[in-house]
Amino acid sequence: MDDSHARKFQKELNAGLVSLVLLSVLAASPADLYGYEIAKRLQKANDGDPLFKEGTIYPVLRALSAAGLLDSHVVPSVAGPPRRYYRITDTGRATLADWLGAWRNTRDFVNRCTETGSP
Amino acid sequence: MTRPTPRSIDEYLDQLRAALAGEDPALVQDALYDAEEYLRAELAAHPDRSEADMLELIAGSYGAPDEVAAAYLDTEARVRTALATPARRSSTSPSALRRFFGVFSDVHAWTSLFFMLLALATGIFYFTFAVTGLALSAGLSILIIGLPFFIAFIGLSRVLSLVEGRLIEALTGERMPRRPPHPGVPQGFGARIIAMLRDLRTWTTLGYFVLMLPLGVAYFVVAVVGVTLGAALILAPLWEGLRALGVALPEGGLQFDTVDPGLLTALDSPGGLALIFVVGVLLLTLLMHLARAVGHLHARIAKTLLVAG
Repeated sequence: MDDSHARKFQKELNAGLVSLVLLSVLAASPADLYGYEIAKRLQKANDGDPLFKEGTIYPVLRALSAAGLLDSHVVPSVAGPPRRYYRITDTGRATLADWLGAWRNTRDFVNRCTETGSP
Repeated sequence: MTRPTPRSIDEYLDQLRAALAGEDPALVQDALYDAEEYLRAELAAHPDRSEADMLELIAGSYGAPDEVAAAYLDTEARVRTALATPARRSSTSPSALRRFFGVFSDVHAWTSLFFMLLALATGIFYFTFAVTGLALSAGLSILIIGLPFFIAFIGLSRVLSLVEGRLIEALTGERMPRRPPHPGVPQGFGARIIAMLRDLRTWTTLGYFVLMLPLGVAYFVVAVVGVTLGAALILAPLWEGLRALGVALPEGGLQFDTVDPGLLTALDSPGGLALIFVVGVLLLTLLMHLARAVGHLHARIAKTLLVAG
């Protein structure tokens, strides 16, 4: 029962944060990335207990692309199926800057609220 | 977790398809494409692992089919809500009159009308493409070049099918696939041709291309006749009014040999001209309603024939 509460809370936290993380990863990368590469980078950063399943980033990538924050193109691959590469757009960078501001404010606020009482 | 752990990529995709059963076929196609791309990349990245071993780990990394399906449905619902035009704030439902004329403020009615005009050009192109491709495939099949030609023809028809889907989504608002159907594992010429020949969607896609010629001609004729007739009726009173004021204009208006001359004389009066104007406005409004309906109906046809159910 506690476990399901924890999982639901994690899912709600992830709803917006996955978009923020994906935009940050793509903004930091000089080369275009495809879904599998992004998933593996996040897996490396997320060692141990994963916060979200890699399968959940694909629909978010698609949504960000539909909203014009990402550009994408398909490149046929030598081994295996064609890959869809993503790149952040200028709108995406501007949005990321806004979101990072909102995230830092939220993070500081939550820290202040949850850590009162501790010295 | 009643379903057994999938042992192969195909089993995983089948379970994902089952978890998404009843959802929009376009969404299902996109989800299957993403999953297959990931799974095949994962398999290629670990050549030492067997497919079954890899799929046992997948539930922990990529997510089980049920979880992945839920993620797509969540995101799709959220994006649709975010992109939807905000609902009208008026609490009362609009009157029948406002609903009738409100069609002029509906973007999709205008874009559907444009689609009807464009359908003649795309219809001729698709028809020519399908008939030429099929005829040449049949003719060249006795030569060795027939095999790559047929594969290229079917491959191109899948690209065209995706492009037509994007066009239809842009013009009618119906959700269509954003990814092509996944080509699957690379195979030899023979195996690919047999798979293409046995794939029902190959034939429904070509059927759609052929059907687009008569449909496109019909859409175009209805749109052009409706717009010109409606515009002529609306402009007729203005034309006659300017003539009555002494502006030198040729004798215009509608001239029908078969119409009773008495009726024409009766219409050539202020009251008659007002009636002509009203009929013109009604005709154009009805045409806009018709265009919107054609847009919906055509999107349904396209979805049935171009997207795997």
